Amino acid sequence: MAVVAAAAPPRARGKRGILRRSLRPLAYLWCPTGLLILFFLVPMVIMLKISFHHESLYDFRTGWTFDNYREIITDPIYRRVALDTFWIASAAMIIQLAIGLPLAYVMAFRAGRFELPLLLALVLADELNPIVRIYAWRQLLGREGLINDALQWLHITNAPVDWLLFSKFAVIVVLSTSWLTYTVIPIYAAMKAIDGRLFESAVDLGAGWFTTFRRVLLPLAAPGIFVALILVYIPLFSEFATPALVGGRSGYMLGSLANSLILEQGDWGAGAALNFLLLAASALVALLAYYLSKLNTLET
Amino acid sequence: MSVVGHPARALPAQAARTAPPASIRAGRITRRTLEIGIVVFMLAMLYLPLLLLAAFSFNDSIILSLPFKGFTTRWYTEAFDDPRMRTGLTNSIWIATIITPICLVLGTLTAFALTRMRFLMRGGVAAVVGAALVVPWLVIGISALLFFNDDLPLVGQTDLSLWTVGIMHVVCTFPLVAAIVSARLARFDRTQEEAAIDLGASQAQMLRRVVLPHLTPALVASAIFAYMWSFNNFEISYFVGGPDYTFPVWAFSTLRHGQNLPIVNAISTVISLVQVLLVFIAWRIARPRPDRGDAGGFMPMGGVG
Repeated sequence: MAVVAAAAPPRARGKRGILRRSLRPLAYLWCPTGLLILFFLVPMVIMLKISFHHESLYDFRTGWTFDNYREIITDPIYRRVALDTFWIASAAMIIQLAIGLPLAYVMAFRAGRFELPLLLALVLADELNPIVRIYAWRQLLGREGLINDALQWLHITNAPVDWLLFSKFAVIVVLSTSWLTYTVIPIYAAMKAIDGRLFESAVDLGAGWFTTFRRVLLPLAAPGIFVALILVYIPLFSEFATPALVGGRSGYMLGSLANSLILEQGDWGAGAALNFLLLAASALVALLAYYLSKLNTLET
Repeated sequence: MSVVGHPARALPAQAARTAPPASIRAGRITRRTLEIGIVVFMLAMLYLPLLLLAAFSFNDSIILSLPFKGFTTRWYTEAFDDPRMRTGLTNSIWIATIITPICLVLGTLTAFALTRMRFLMRGGVAAVVGAALVVPWLVIGISALLFFNDDLPLVGQTDLSLWTVGIMHVVCTFPLVAAIVSARLARFDRTQEEAAIDLGASQAQMLRRVVLPHLTPALVASAIFAYMWSFNNFEISYFVGGPDYTFPVWAFSTLRHGQNLPIVNAISTVISLVQVLLVFIAWRIARPRPDRGDAGGFMPMGGVG
């Protein structure tokens, strides 16, 4: 009791104590929050403002307008690119989940002493330069690249296969490998928290492997899957470097379009509008994943 | 130890001695093969392209293809003689070196405030920090470009340079440090701090001798991630760099124009090797032990959301 009494602040300093306590978060946070407000939130507001103006190199009309959004939503070329982006991002996400779920399972329950080295391998892969990775794939997939060499040497084909590079295929392959770390690690972390005896009980109760997977593993790993969706699926929609370097014409994505509108065509209004739509879409996906994860916790 | 005395233990031992039916044994073999298969596939997808890139950086040929034309190191000397490559690389190293300590301080302050204090708008601050981590870099980069070019009240337009790149790197990197350190702080038993104070430690002594040792793995991991995020950051450097460029921007434009490709092979190999070394050293210092629920900050994204 004596210790507690000594630790409690004397009453005389009460008022200043309250003031100091309420100012302390400010002392910690003024710089980080200030930076985020000035260079993260304000730019978003300015982008929103520009998206409602005619602001391009050749257009000097003033006043507010919906033209940028109308242009993006009605133009069939934009719609095509948006649809392509959706397919590419979804295919890459599905492939990553197809690799990531069993991989996370192996790492969490089956790898034994290889668990840590595998985790290191995944972390390390993410810390290597992404442009270097894209470039390495480009060298492999090209007409004169190693994969085509190998295919011809094995007499699987006679002429170089063209669709390996500058295609949707190339973009999907490169994106799947670039983001694998952020798909696997959240799922692995979620699985790590599962009590392994649950599987034994499921088997003892007569469940087959598929039932065990669907009724035990999947629901318990679901929070990790939702985190992976937020961390990977959203950024996939605004990929820019990968489609620019290995996508060619058919692997063109919304990120490339935003870049071309802003830096090449100088149409800042339309670029800002497109960028804002990307932001809104990512917020929507994030909210949806968050909501689903909440729903899931309620059920289990 | 008598078997009779421990019926519970005897059961599994007996079960192990009776050989499982052939079908199950076969199932086990294929299962193991599948597991090894998926791991090998993952490693190949992640590392084989880079290993081949490294191997062929010594090839005396302009393109990466068989047959191997002969061993040469001339791409390495040419790479380091390229003035634009040198500028990009130096810029990247400078920016990463300067912003890493800044991000560590800002991220740790944020983590302490968010995990230790209750205040108005705490949820709001946490949401903005999380958003800066999740919003794609392309979106951040383009909005920053528009922001710096906009005719703002008081400051007007800002010229794009390495300064704007550095500021934006700080803005999108320190939330990562905040996430890693918060995850670690949340796992810290605060009674240890109270015990230290009760035993007569000053606030500073308590922080240095109790809290800091606990945070060290998270800080080491944060430092290496912050450095790599800044060094590897392409989108933001590309949009807010203006006339200045970093290594990834140099590599991107070189590849876009399809010139000097072998020197990109060579310099990529060198950079990847250094990155492998740095991550490995950080890993050894932080000693993650995920089996004890302690990843030392190496699973920063495990706890998000």
